[in-house]
Formats: sequence, structure tokens, C-alpha cells
Amino acid sequence: MIPAVVVAVVLGLLAIAVVLSVVRVVRGPSAGDSAVAGDLIFFAFIGVVAVFGLMFSIDAVIDVILIAAVLGFLSILSLARLLQGVQR
Amino acid sequence: MTADLVITIVGSALLILGAAILASAAIGLVKLPDLYTRTSAIGTAAGLGVALIIAAVVVFDFSVLNLIKGLIAIVAQLVTSSIGSFALARAGYLTGSQPVATTFPDELADTAAVSEQASASAHPEGDP
Repeated sequence: MIPAVVVAVVLGLLAIAVVLSVVRVVRGPSAGDSAVAGDLIFFAFIGVVAVFGLMFSIDAVIDVILIAAVLGFLSILSLARLLQGVQR
Repeated sequence: MTADLVITIVGSALLILGAAILASAAIGLVKLPDLYTRTSAIGTAAGLGVALIIAAVVVFDFSVLNLIKGLIAIVAQLVTSSIGSFALARAGYLTGSQPVATTFPDELADTAAVSEQASASAHPEGDP
């Protein structure tokens, strides 16, 4: 259904994104930079889930992506709260 | 047969475009100089990239129910990615992360100073 070359190209691009984000997590001068890079890793993970769901033609992939898109920002919000500590 | 070909081409183009936008966001994450430009790159590019990937899933696996779910997911993604990057940049500003030296009008510093004076005059004995 989805061509194999498209799967290879998309997974390669997402792998580049994840590797560069891990570089920023390791190198990042402040904790905020690491949190931003973790956010991008989460978004790339949504892409990987979408590609694998299309490749094996899993019906529930759109539900997984829906839940991830609706609730995914809670992780970055809690990281921001953790970062700013007691101040509002 | 032709409809299948069109679905495959359009879905593949959307999928590759979304992944390329995510990769460009990662390049910006490594190359940009401070926390605020990095947060801006992730907030805009990741929202758009994930929205395109969701659109590709809907195109490949089309039904009315999937179209509704996909539209909800795209709207939620576009709204919440900007909320997340805003909250993270605000947390970085409150913890004293320095912007790059070419950031000229730092209006948030003036606003923070004014509101601090106002709250100090309104509550002279400190935080209520």
C-alpha cells in the first residue's frame, strides 16, 4: 500500500531529526534546551508511529495519533512547570 | 487503479514533506543560538510537520470517521504545540536564560519591572 522507498525516506528523515535532538539534549547549556529537544523527539515519535501503522495497515493508528496530539503537550507543560520551580 | 495511484502519490508527498519539516526543525535546534529561537523553531515547525503527517495518514486510510479524527488531531496539534513552546520559553525567561546579544527591544523585561513595582506598591508587606 505505502511504497517501501517512501517508508525508507521518511524513517531516515525522522532518524536525522531524533539524532540531532539527542545532540542538543547532550550538549544543551540549560535544562530548557534539553526540554525543547525532548519535545521534538516526541513529535518525531508520532511520525514513526504513523509510518509503522500505515506499513502494517493497523486500523488503530489514527486513534493513537489523536491521543498523542491531544495529550502530548502535557509533558512539555509539566517540564516547564518543573523548570520554573516555585515562581508563577 | 488511477485513484489508488493518486492516493499513493499525494499521501507519500505529504508524509515526506512532514518528515522533512521535522528534520529541518532539528537542524534549527542544533544551529540556532539561544533558547528562544530554538523554542520558536520547534513550536512552528513541529506543529506543521505533525499536522502534515496526520493528513497523510487520513489520505492513505480514508473514511469519514478517520477524516473527523484527523481534523480534531490537526487542530489540537496546531494549538497545543504553540502552547507548549510558549510555556517553555516563559519558564526559560523566568529562570534567567540569556537571549542572544542581538535581541534588541527586550519588552518583557520592562513589563516585568513595571508589574513588579505595581505589585510591590499594592502589597507592601510582600506576597499575599
